[in-house]
Amino acid sequence: MSLIRQVWLLLGVTLALAIAGGFGISVESSRRYLATQLTMKNNDMAQSLGLSLSQQRGDATAMELLLASQFDTGFYEQMRLVAPDGKVLIDRSAPLNKSNAPAWFVGWMGLSPDVGIALVSDGWKQVGRLEVRSQSSFTVDQLWRSTLLAAWLLAFLALMAGAVARYGLARIKAPLSATVQQAMALTERRFVTVAEPHVPELREVTRAMNLMVDRLRLMFDEQAGQVEVLRRQAHCDDLTGVFNRPHFLGRLKGLLSAEDGSASGVLVLVRICDLQGINRMLGRAEADALLRETAAAIEESGRRSVRHEIGRLNGSDFALVLPDVQSLRESAVDVAAKLRTLFRTREGDAFAVVGAVRWWHGASASSLLAAADQALARAEARGAFAVDLDDAGDGLVLGEDAWRVRLEQALAHRWAELAKFAMVDVHGDVIHFECPLRLRLESDGAPVPAAQWLPMARRTQLTWRIDLLAVDVALSAIAVDGLPRSVNLSPSSLADDGFLPALRQLLLQHRASAPGLWLEVAEAGAMRNIELVRALVDQAHAMGVRVGLEHAGEQVTQSGRLLEAGLDFVKLDASLVDGIAESTARRQHVASMLLMLHGIGLAVYAEGVNEEADAQALWDCGIDGVTGPVVKRA
Amino acid sequence: MVRCVEGGSGLDRLAGLALVRAARAWALVFLVLAAAGACLSWAAPWDANRILTAAGRHGDAAVAGVRALQASLAKVPPRDDATLLATVNTFFNQRIAFREDLENWGQVDYWASPLESLQKGAGDCEDYAIAKYFTLISTGVPHKRLRLVYVRAAVNGLVVPHMVLAFYPSADADPLVLDNLVPDIRPASRRPDLTPVFSFNAEAIWEGVSTANVGGSPVERLSRWRDVLNRGKQEGFL
Repeated sequence: MSLIRQVWLLLGVTLALAIAGGFGISVESSRRYLATQLTMKNNDMAQSLGLSLSQQRGDATAMELLLASQFDTGFYEQMRLVAPDGKVLIDRSAPLNKSNAPAWFVGWMGLSPDVGIALVSDGWKQVGRLEVRSQSSFTVDQLWRSTLLAAWLLAFLALMAGAVARYGLARIKAPLSATVQQAMALTERRFVTVAEPHVPELREVTRAMNLMVDRLRLMFDEQAGQVEVLRRQAHCDDLTGVFNRPHFLGRLKGLLSAEDGSASGVLVLVRICDLQGINRMLGRAEADALLRETAAAIEESGRRSVRHEIGRLNGSDFALVLPDVQSLRESAVDVAAKLRTLFRTREGDAFAVVGAVRWWHGASASSLLAAADQALARAEARGAFAVDLDDAGDGLVLGEDAWRVRLEQALAHRWAELAKFAMVDVHGDVIHFECPLRLRLESDGAPVPAAQWLPMARRTQLTWRIDLLAVDVALSAIAVDGLPRSVNLSPSSLADDGFLPALRQLLLQHRASAPGLWLEVAEAGAMRNIELVRALVDQAHAMGVRVGLEHAGEQVTQSGRLLEAGLDFVKLDASLVDGIAESTARRQHVASMLLMLHGIGLAVYAEGVNEEADAQALWDCGIDGVTGPVVKRA
Repeated sequence: MVRCVEGGSGLDRLAGLALVRAARAWALVFLVLAAAGACLSWAAPWDANRILTAAGRHGDAAVAGVRALQASLAKVPPRDDATLLATVNTFFNQRIAFREDLENWGQVDYWASPLESLQKGAGDCEDYAIAKYFTLISTGVPHKRLRLVYVRAAVNGLVVPHMVLAFYPSADADPLVLDNLVPDIRPASRRPDLTPVFSFNAEAIWEGVSTANVGGSPVERLSRWRDVLNRGKQEGFL
């Protein structure tokens, strides 16, 4: 029973007892008082009349007259004169007054005053015994009236007391619920602070919990700082801060192979020609500054795509990958123009060249890089700030409307399939199956991974309906085989007003399967809309669904907001764990991240693990589960 | 209130005192007899031990009085009302000296219980009547045969208020009067000096005619009669 309900019960019982007690005492004391008064009256009247009768020298007429006059003018029920042998000499009785009180009350009260008795004699001779009973029906009426009055008054008082208690309890309850909600949030891994309540006892509790949360945040921030340092050491170029070659290649590979990656994009290579000459001429420091500014200029140009990534491939070569960018030429020319502006402000005749290629989802990273390299070589041959392109043509054969029609069709017919990749723990047991959605865009077509249609789905704002379809299909599959499944949601779905209510409806329909469902949101989108993720978590947890981040690692540790999200798990991006067996820096980074995420109670899994050695290194770090090619081989 | 007159002359009193002494001597003699279960001679619920224990609380005089009373009663043959009445009447007339309440108890009117009177060794007319009433009741005489009677008494040409105990052998009989003014018991018809005014007993209270429970109600103490009944009950007479 809840505390408030117990308090109410206690209050109710106390009030009831107090009122019943007060009521009982008041009724009983009036009852006793009236009975005593009547007894005394009966007795005194009997003695006084008995004395008078004893003075009549046995004159029966005189005695009867005396008795009658007393009876008729007073308030009596009965007067009797009984001879010693039991014979009734005189008997005067009044009809019993009808009482207003109900019969049960009369019976219950049992008001029976003592009969007044006196001895009557004629000189030494015994005449008999005089018995006097006064009217008592009025006493029952009076008792009934006072009982009713007391009942009404006490009921009114009880109502008043209840109202006061309600107000008081509400005042107590508000801060109490705030405290309880904070405690519940803590158990759900949402580390939030709340305002301190006015109630002293609760204030101490809340203060202690707030303090704990603050300490946790501080620790989290410190750890986050360390993780960030390790991340930079492992993944970034010391000088320019952009990705180093291995990490960039990992990211590129991930982008090209991810089911939910982009369909196409642009890869731009930049080369600073004759870096050694520049080094000699301007000195090491100047040359380093030039490299840093070049990286910054490329970064600026790359902002045309929200998910752009930059890497330094070797001393003089930079790479920029722009997913979802259509215009190859514009991208390349923009980079070249920015570099030209930068290099002009410098002394000497240093220059850069730009080569760019278009890429498609599923392409091989190495052949893409080779093509880009060739373009770069051709540009270099043409001279300063030359731009060379290798364009395989526009990939979007269909227009936007055509895509919309095909996606709508797939949605309407539920032309959807879920792929199935196992996520296993250290013992090889399946934690869940990752189930990326594949749509058939034609009735007899092959299932197509999300990378092919996701950009158009985003553009036509159909992602939320597609995500719902994925959830629906997954829940139905769980209902059939009972295997836990993980479905990824687009961040843009969360932003759609219709999504969460529809998801709730869906989960309610498949109440039994819901606990087997895992939902994941890409880190990049989730961190931008942490409030939407919170709303998703609230709804999902209510139905027993787990929620986590996928493709995580770059930002997850940088934001304290993660503390308030109440997530269940985090999946580390493949680029973070790729090759960690060989790199101490990368291993340290992953280990520190694991420590930190485990610290706030999150389960941590690794995506896209290729090598057995990497998997082993991850197990050594304490990872909770891995997925990727290594699992299939096992 | 009943104002009583002192009974007997100084000579009578001296004789009374002598009798008291004799009774005390006899008491020693009969003590053993009494203790040996002389109470068997009465069918009554005389609770010797209870009364003795109660007397112990009042004082030595009360204890001695009770023992003497027990000794006297032990000599009474069973079912001999005349002897019983005479014994009780004589015992209290001799054992208790007449004294006004004001002098005795410091109050204008006080109804003493039998043990209180025995402890004091003194009392006024209603104390004699009460002591005799309680003692007779304790030996098994029913309430209805006894009445405490307020009388007008003509003493030496004066009319004074007085109280006596009347014993009715039957309901319509001429009662026997136990009085402290006249040492012997006479029928009422032979007591022209007494004019009865009003009589009462504890019949209604004690024998189920009334539903009252003595001692249970705070008003009991407000009535002299009920108050002394309570005390008599506590002392084991009732």
